[in-house]
Amino acid sequence: MSVTATASATTANGRAAGAAAPARRVSGANWSDAILNAYLVIFFIYMFAPLIVMSLAAFNAYDYPSVTQWRGFTLQWFGELAQDQRILQGLWNSFLVAFGVIVISIPLGLSGAFILTRLQSRWNGLLYAIMVSPILTPGIILGIATLIFWRNFNIPGGLFLTMLAQSTFIASYSMLMFMARLQRQDRVLEEAALDLGASNVMVFRRITLPFLYPTIATAAVIAFLQSIENYNTTVFAIGGDWTLVTEIGSRFRFGLSPVINVIGVIFVVITVLCAVAYTVYRRREQERAKAG
Amino acid sequence: MTELVRTYGRGLTATFLGLTGIWIVLLIIVPQATMIEQSLWSKERGNAISLEIDRAYTDLSMLEYDLGEATDEAARAEKQAEMAQLESRIAELEVQEQDPPKIYGLQNYTRMSGLHFGIFVKTIVYSIMVTVLALVVCYPIAYVIAHLSTPNKAAILLLGLTVPYAINELLRVYAWLMILDYQGVINSLLAVLGFVDLDAREWIPFLEYSGSVFVALIYAYILFMVFPIYNTLETLDKNQIEAAKDLGASTWRTHWRVIIPHAKPGIAVGCIMTFMLSAGSYSVPQIMTRGTSGDWFSQLIYRQFFESFNWNQGSAYAFTLLAVCILFIFLMMAVFRVGIRDIAK
Repeated sequence: MSVTATASATTANGRAAGAAAPARRVSGANWSDAILNAYLVIFFIYMFAPLIVMSLAAFNAYDYPSVTQWRGFTLQWFGELAQDQRILQGLWNSFLVAFGVIVISIPLGLSGAFILTRLQSRWNGLLYAIMVSPILTPGIILGIATLIFWRNFNIPGGLFLTMLAQSTFIASYSMLMFMARLQRQDRVLEEAALDLGASNVMVFRRITLPFLYPTIATAAVIAFLQSIENYNTTVFAIGGDWTLVTEIGSRFRFGLSPVINVIGVIFVVITVLCAVAYTVYRRREQERAKAG
Repeated sequence: MTELVRTYGRGLTATFLGLTGIWIVLLIIVPQATMIEQSLWSKERGNAISLEIDRAYTDLSMLEYDLGEATDEAARAEKQAEMAQLESRIAELEVQEQDPPKIYGLQNYTRMSGLHFGIFVKTIVYSIMVTVLALVVCYPIAYVIAHLSTPNKAAILLLGLTVPYAINELLRVYAWLMILDYQGVINSLLAVLGFVDLDAREWIPFLEYSGSVFVALIYAYILFMVFPIYNTLETLDKNQIEAAKDLGASTWRTHWRVIIPHAKPGIAVGCIMTFMLSAGSYSVPQIMTRGTSGDWFSQLIYRQFFESFNWNQGSAYAFTLLAVCILFIFLMMAVFRVGIRDIAK
């Protein structure tokens, strides 16, 4: 989400114009620049070193995750992961939940955004506060509240409740995305279509929805990622079932093995690939924008 | 309302209203209200009722004895009636003993033991420390990326931060388990330097200190501080900084008077998110203690629900946590003078 913000390229770097400044000041700026850059490097090492440690242990032929007790390079843990039925089932369950969350949270978020952007009532402030509150609520509270409420209807914890609990806050994220998009909409098109005799449903289907398609796609991706990653809400609502992440969580208690590190490596590789693909895509877009 | 109906018609408007209503009522408000209600009652299987039943049985055997002694018909009938009454009373009491009535009150809140209260306070204090530390560490990072980097460099740096941010928090924190383990990276380094002797099992048991949870919490949630601050700093016009410098303001003064005031909403959001995530984190303490010890407030809540099966007490603990987070949000809004609209952007 935040990466897109970099697109707004600020070209005028005022510091370049400061060439005429006294030499003493320039060297001072260099010093502080050097310190800041070193700080940045240290911060990045801090962020990445643990990930490298975790990834290395996936290739260690030692049955306790470790990099210090090195027993040689192996790929055996990858093989074990491929045969681990509980983890594979957990992955499947995660996909099911994520799919359900997308189906529930996109319409909810979209409706909420329409109500807030198009309905100017004095309740708007309150409604807004209520609808973003799930983002600001600790995840475990959402899981607990869902679990307690649905027990009244004899629905125990499980995949279904996990979908509902996750949708509570993921719908808020999609609502914020839809609101940002709707606020940029040029309403003239809708007005024109109505004047030309289009029905209400037609206006929605042919003008509003196409305008929202990119946001629906982004919101679905974000919802999918948020759902797959979620642990704190899920662990309370999942009951006797399990998702990939809750299964990983319970392995820390029983049966910690480098298989978990293999999952970590896969996560890292997928994330880095996505990041690189995104960069390439961005660069191409920019070049096309320049050429056009 | 009329505008919405005019553009999209009654059907679609009703759908929007209905879905929003379902979300607000069925997913947000009523579940929270149910949780709060659950925290306000308890079923007491008290000693008093058991004592009363015992006493009733004693009375019953006394009456039985009296019945045997009694000779005239009227007295017998009277005793029998009394016995029947007592027996029905006993049956009633026994039902109550099996399924005690709900007693409403604040007992679930007031009954928090000293130990649990200590854990609660520790959780809050640690979360505040995580928040402050994250702010101090992340503000320069966000500033450097937003204002001291060329656009290309900034894009790469942000992408670099997104990678650890996007990886699951369990797996991210897991790395710290391996670093702080008995024969982990740090202990091995210390062994190489000759400070500890691993063969004699004389390692430093980092994982047994709650400081290890603290270290992992910072690592897990620090990036939630960077991105909101970056997003607000990014919108600050560079000319304002230049103007402040040209007018002779020192670097500190520029930050204090120009840059930080502009970044306030971002700082508030970052603080709220970091605090909320740390205080409510179940994953981090779960992993760092490997699920064995439970000295984090979220773990206490989990155990109330799934080990003690005391949902009333668990709900009270959960609401206490929620209340603290709400208080923190209001505190941040007051300190940074921002509204709810600025917060959730």
